[in-house]
Amino acid sequence: MASPQSLPQVPVTVLTGYLGAGKTTLLNRILSEQHGKKYAVIVNEFGELGVDNDLVVNADEEVFEMNNGCICCTVRGDLIRIIEGLMKRKDKFDGILVETTGLADPGPVAQTFFTDEDVKARTRLDAIVTVVDAKHFLGQLEQGSEAEEQVAFADVILLNKTDLVSEGDLEKVETRIRTINRYARIFRTQKSRIELDAILDKGAFDLQRILEFEPDFLHHGHDHDHEEEIKSLSITADRPVDPDKFQKWMGALLQLRGPDIFRSKGILAIDGAPRRYVYQGVHMMIDSDWGTPWKDGEERSSKLVFIGRNLDHDNLKRGFEDCLK
Amino acid sequence: MKLDLANPAWRQALPPARSLAADAPVAACAFSRDGVSVAFALGDGCVRIVPADLAVAPPDPGPAIHRGVVLSLVGDPAGDGFVSGGDDGRLMRIAADGSATELLEQKGKWIEHVAAHRTGAIAASAGKSAFVVKDGEIREFGPHQSTVAAIDFSKDGSRVACAHYGGVTVWSIGQVTLPPRRFAWRGSHVALKWSTDGKFIATGTQENDIHVWRMAQATDMRMQGYPAKVKSLSWTADARFLYTSSQPLFTAWPFAGKGPEGKPPLQFGDEGAGLMTVVAAHPTAEFVAGGYDSGELQLGDIKTRRSVVLKMADGAAITGLAWSPDGFKLAVGNDGGNLLVIDLRR
Repeated sequence: MASPQSLPQVPVTVLTGYLGAGKTTLLNRILSEQHGKKYAVIVNEFGELGVDNDLVVNADEEVFEMNNGCICCTVRGDLIRIIEGLMKRKDKFDGILVETTGLADPGPVAQTFFTDEDVKARTRLDAIVTVVDAKHFLGQLEQGSEAEEQVAFADVILLNKTDLVSEGDLEKVETRIRTINRYARIFRTQKSRIELDAILDKGAFDLQRILEFEPDFLHHGHDHDHEEEIKSLSITADRPVDPDKFQKWMGALLQLRGPDIFRSKGILAIDGAPRRYVYQGVHMMIDSDWGTPWKDGEERSSKLVFIGRNLDHDNLKRGFEDCLK
Repeated sequence: MKLDLANPAWRQALPPARSLAADAPVAACAFSRDGVSVAFALGDGCVRIVPADLAVAPPDPGPAIHRGVVLSLVGDPAGDGFVSGGDDGRLMRIAADGSATELLEQKGKWIEHVAAHRTGAIAASAGKSAFVVKDGEIREFGPHQSTVAAIDFSKDGSRVACAHYGGVTVWSIGQVTLPPRRFAWRGSHVALKWSTDGKFIATGTQENDIHVWRMAQATDMRMQGYPAKVKSLSWTADARFLYTSSQPLFTAWPFAGKGPEGKPPLQFGDEGAGLMTVVAAHPTAEFVAGGYDSGELQLGDIKTRRSVVLKMADGAAITGLAWSPDGFKLAVGNDGGNLLVIDLRR
């Protein structure tokens, strides 16, 4: 497939969030503000958006199981069709936004961008943005797993409606978010007001940043690990990575634990390679590429991040250490 | 009918052709039923109609027919024009002079697939439903369990088959309402062609394979081994072979005799640059045209297994191929907005 891969890939932002968190407000702003950019927006309910715009496409959230024996391999069939259709347009886009319904699992949406060859050739998943309702988030956690999973999947979190809660309550919500996902970038917002540059087209999931950033504020008195809870962890190493061993280990790990691992990301110092090797994944699917070159004299260290359920830090650490030279 | 695949001149340069440029990608192309005109469905809402006769100068492009992308196009079975579907939710009838009238509007839906039958019937998909326009009447069939991903008429035009997630649904479109027949197979079916003899329905699936149902016994078969989704299927005029895209070579499954079970497909041609995106069997003879994602265009002859590369790769994937009804001309459109009509008569 010589030509499709050389086409420019349009960045895709997946927008999730519980009902009423402020997704529609954000989308309306993206569609109505003068920002000089052209975004196609794929929504679930036409009527909710106040803006009449031919770049808004209605989707049906058709979640298809792939008939390939992979248990968590579900994709959004409607997205595949819609993206193929959008790519036939004369006018090209600066980005595509995909809104998911408030109770939807972001997994199938994200997996669509790893699975379908045509979609992969024309688009790349840029980030999963989750809008969190500061006032109702803690209550939503009690009502089911959706609100928690949406936070777990996120690369960027808009902690919205901060004007409706006290500073103390806001701290509580943010701390709770951090116990689920330590690595997402959090922006506090009111009425979903945010510079769009902060959340759109951030490139490769802000991978570099994730790996340079290691929040440590949680290490003080929050180690109440219930095994079934979603949490995030990282593993670092200073010795170079054996690529074959790593591939084998990661492949087996995701095959076995894929349903529990919402997100995995990493930067690897591969033995003998001049560039960083970066990857990121959703459940069992992973996408990788060579990143920026190591500078002369730079310390070559590797870091992996996992966000998921029932993660055993020691076990993962041992597994990774077996992949080192 | 003779196409000279050994013609040495064709290896040097294109046969006589008309080449035009459009501003937008081509989604599909089609000849009118009388073979006088060719139309190209474009990503800017226009349907560019040009004379099939290379000696006749093409008129200036007309105004846009759809408000977004033209997604589907067929020759009008009841006239000398075309029928198009768009992402503006409209199904339009376009006369040869370019004037258009609306046949159907489904607000908020895309008219992604259109099929025509010589009895004058037109079938169109809009979201989860199929619509049949015949004798001035519009009937809805569905909704199906998911969006209709392909649509085709039976040989006699009495039934319409719709591909969707989980299989195929066949509707009888006569005045007597009969319950639909369902042909189930797990997974998402993204292409569909009813065989030219009416005996088989073939689909391409999201999982890179082909599924074929035998209508009489309702038995089915699955053919694997493709590196990508098979979105283009084409039965030969005599229904002896089913051509499939998504391989570097012409790939034809034999359906004469006992059928393709347990047999490899027939493969021939020059290994193209990339994968075949569109394949179109000749309407009367044993030829076939294939377009590649690299832009290459190849003609093949299944009898002699010879082939000729008519156009080398130029980067933009071929997205539309159509033979004229008499089989002497070939229309080609690509993702870069290049429109081509080739005259292959010796």
